[in-house]
Amino acid sequence: MSDSRSLLVLFGSQSGNAEDMASQIGKAASKYGLEAIVKGMDEIQISDLSSHKRIMICCSTWGEGEQPDNAEDLWISANSEGSPSMSGVNFSVLALGDTSYELFCESGKEWDSWLEAKGGYRISDRVDCDVDYEDPAKSWMDETLARMGAVDDSGVFQENQVQQVKDNASGALSTQTTSAAESSTVEISTEGDRSLVILFGSQSGNAEALAAKFAKQASGYGLEAEVADMDGFDLTSLSGRKRVLIVCSTWGEGEQPDNAEELWIKASSAPSGLLDGVNFSVLALGDTSYELFCESGKEWDNKFEQLGATRLVARVDCDVDYDQISQEWAENALAAMAAVDGEGVFHEEMVLAIKESMTSGATGASGEDGFTVPEIKSESISAEISIFRYDPNTSTTGKDTWVCALPGHMSILDVLRTIKSTQDGSLTFRDGAVDDPTTAISINGRHVLPGNLRLESSAPLRNGGISISLEPLNGFEVIRDLAVEHWDLESKRESSKPWMSSVTRQGLSTPQGALGSMNPLIASKLHSMMDIHSYPILHASSDATAYSDDYYGPSIISQSWARRNDPRTAPSKKREIEQLLDSPFGIKAETDFSSIRRQGKGSFIHDALLDCKTSTLARDGFTGRHGKHVWWYTFTIKSSGRVNDSVLYRQVLGPIGLFGNLFSGVTSRMVLGFTRTGGNMINDMLALIAPPAGLGKMPRQFNSSVKNHHEVVAIYNEMDGRF
Amino acid sequence: MAMKYAYHPGNVAHSGSPEVAESMVPLVKSLGIELTYLDGATSCGAGIIRQVNQKLQLTLNARVFAQAESLGMGILTPCASTAGNLSEDLFLLKSNPILLAEINEVLLKTCGLEFTGDTSVNHLLHVIVDDIGLEKIKPMVVNPIDFRVASYYGPNIQQHGFCGEDDIYDPNYMEQLIQTLGGEPVSWDSRTQSVGAPSLLSEEPTVLKQAASVLNDAKSEGAQMIVSACNLSHSVMDIYQGKASQRTGLRTNIPVVHLCEILSFALGHYNTRYAQLRTRVLVIGD
Repeated sequence: MSDSRSLLVLFGSQSGNAEDMASQIGKAASKYGLEAIVKGMDEIQISDLSSHKRIMICCSTWGEGEQPDNAEDLWISANSEGSPSMSGVNFSVLALGDTSYELFCESGKEWDSWLEAKGGYRISDRVDCDVDYEDPAKSWMDETLARMGAVDDSGVFQENQVQQVKDNASGALSTQTTSAAESSTVEISTEGDRSLVILFGSQSGNAEALAAKFAKQASGYGLEAEVADMDGFDLTSLSGRKRVLIVCSTWGEGEQPDNAEELWIKASSAPSGLLDGVNFSVLALGDTSYELFCESGKEWDNKFEQLGATRLVARVDCDVDYDQISQEWAENALAAMAAVDGEGVFHEEMVLAIKESMTSGATGASGEDGFTVPEIKSESISAEISIFRYDPNTSTTGKDTWVCALPGHMSILDVLRTIKSTQDGSLTFRDGAVDDPTTAISINGRHVLPGNLRLESSAPLRNGGISISLEPLNGFEVIRDLAVEHWDLESKRESSKPWMSSVTRQGLSTPQGALGSMNPLIASKLHSMMDIHSYPILHASSDATAYSDDYYGPSIISQSWARRNDPRTAPSKKREIEQLLDSPFGIKAETDFSSIRRQGKGSFIHDALLDCKTSTLARDGFTGRHGKHVWWYTFTIKSSGRVNDSVLYRQVLGPIGLFGNLFSGVTSRMVLGFTRTGGNMINDMLALIAPPAGLGKMPRQFNSSVKNHHEVVAIYNEMDGRF
Repeated sequence: MAMKYAYHPGNVAHSGSPEVAESMVPLVKSLGIELTYLDGATSCGAGIIRQVNQKLQLTLNARVFAQAESLGMGILTPCASTAGNLSEDLFLLKSNPILLAEINEVLLKTCGLEFTGDTSVNHLLHVIVDDIGLEKIKPMVVNPIDFRVASYYGPNIQQHGFCGEDDIYDPNYMEQLIQTLGGEPVSWDSRTQSVGAPSLLSEEPTVLKQAASVLNDAKSEGAQMIVSACNLSHSVMDIYQGKASQRTGLRTNIPVVHLCEILSFALGHYNTRYAQLRTRVLVIGD
């Protein structure tokens, strides 16, 4: 096959589904007379695309309409200046997504639009798939491959050839099973009868769980597995089936599990020959401490053979520690079942090749199938762990320190559990799931969920080890050690009346009835404000919450601000929220936004809280201390380019405040510089006229202007006419 | 060859904290840093202007960036607050081409300037540790700082991308530097905690409690002095420590000096002032 019949199959994949789909296309392409080149989007340059006449794209969407990781760079290149024309390229896009997200299949849509905008020819319409993508994706693949096959060698689509290509492909499929055995390259067929029944007889649920697990694995072998409970199963329905796996436990003294009893009775009286043509294998679960070990499985194994079925893989009997041995059985049994063709003929010579193919094909990291979590282990590291202790009975505080070697992959929560179970049973902390927001603690000033943080990532490695200081979250009352009381936050949340009072909206008229709608930009902004994994952590991210009892804190303020900006909120509710935000315990009580920004997802909240403060100040008309502070600071910058502290003090504190500073020592410390050194005794002429102005380190009364000060004024005039 | 930077002295170096601006002059000479003063640079906004109008602050700072860019230099400042605020705005402009274009439109119209994103913001501390290297500082030390020193970073520079290679939550650049200068760094928890400087005049009761907590923590851990990397926080902790103690009842009396001062003293500048500081360390207490 020449380059002129090449088909580029590109995948942008996050979880592996798009990659899997691209791989299927790659395998099927030859039946349509095409030579597929399957590549990840991170394996190709944008400039290379225009040299292809046929491109099929499988692209998933990640998060809020984002390109998957391996597609990001290519997408940026595609949108950069000078990206190539796609004229002469025949393309089609399969978009994978999830309708529970607002921007459904956005990445696929973006590629589809881009290719069209660049002059490409859409050979078949884009298909947008939800999480159950297999069927629509398969239809798209078949149709698009046929149309790609009808693109001639010069790149022109010959629509009248499509049916011919389909017919040819159909012929190729019918001969595939016989040719596969002769082929040196193993290709697991996805055509013909590929059904597999996995029957389970289960008492405690282990056999059922294994059956479900093997069913998921079966798709990788090109099999369509159906898990069936022995309870109520019609044994005669197996007649005519080609592949059956049995997973069965044993109950008590060699008895069938409850859900298998009835079927076993029927099987015992079934005529021989009932299961002729059925290929099977049995996994028996049991316990060697019982006399009749795996008896039920053995019985099914013998019974199927008696009924005429063919045993492809010898039965495996498992003891209570069955994980590894059952998996080995599954790999052998599934490979054997995959080597049974659509006519029920077992091709033994293919089994080894199929197994090797499955092993070598597992190039992705484990976990990408969405069902298993990759296990990552690290070496032990030396750790100095210092933990805050508080005993409410004696009202004593202190720190206990342990120096130990622990596995680097251990979570901080596991570290705490280990210390509690082996060192000090009185250690108190909130235990829970890894994402339980109430477990939050502070590690070296960083607020985290301890179940989500590995020991090796909790602090920098210094001098061959790490040193961590575990503290309770600040801004909360400590109950004991690391456990804090969340009631105050919940009480504030309740008093903020966070519930929705919605306004009646017209909505959109659709065939399904009227539906509400929201501008995507607003929805995205609201989502970023509300998508918080731990409200206690957000509350603690402000350094002010610990020192201002009445301050609502960033957690409640950000939720209220989001509600305030929600177009569904009724105007009366918005006014109520504004009163809360404008109150002395609202956003004005935040003393330093930078402390919020530095904690985790703080930048989203930081930006939202800044918007909130801007809104509050504008409503207040720059009155009160907050308004004056901000207004005069900004004004003095316009006046000279530099802040004038004297003007600020005078305008914000007023005569009473200034007088108070005289008696509290603030003024004298300004004059003397107190602990700071150096500086001139007299800073300007005002020191002679109206001391203490101009003396020591008292801020200057008058600033000289920065160079080209007129530019600063011009910027102000252009950007904000209020100053 | 001398390292060259465009110099932004920070917000209050021209008024309430002249010791910072003064001590920078001989210090950079000793360190082999050549500074070009950004004569036209405005205040970084101190996180306050953006509360009124974020784009106004962005435009003012974009003007400063454009000035540094035209010199072909990165910006150096001794103030953590200024470094943090400028870094935040620089990050915002660099990561949002649409916003940058909008700001540039105003900049071009009002100042005839354009900023392409080709400059950087650096705090003196990170230049010393990352670029100069502590091994080169050690032989320069004339007057060892033989005190127990609590290093104060504040929250502004301890953010992703703003603090060089140092750890955001568990920094130790200043501790390493203090050790190099002959001092004994004190381990304390409050070194990145805010003292509320941006709200000193508007939320004084809370700010005083925050400042008192930080000062008291340093004292409780046995520090004889605090060295601050921030002009604003440095002033708050010095000027308001008496009032903070009155308001909270906590022990707060402790000398607070700026990083520039302690460095210049250690490298042999302002010997008289250093003598004054040593006296203060001995006499200030409870």
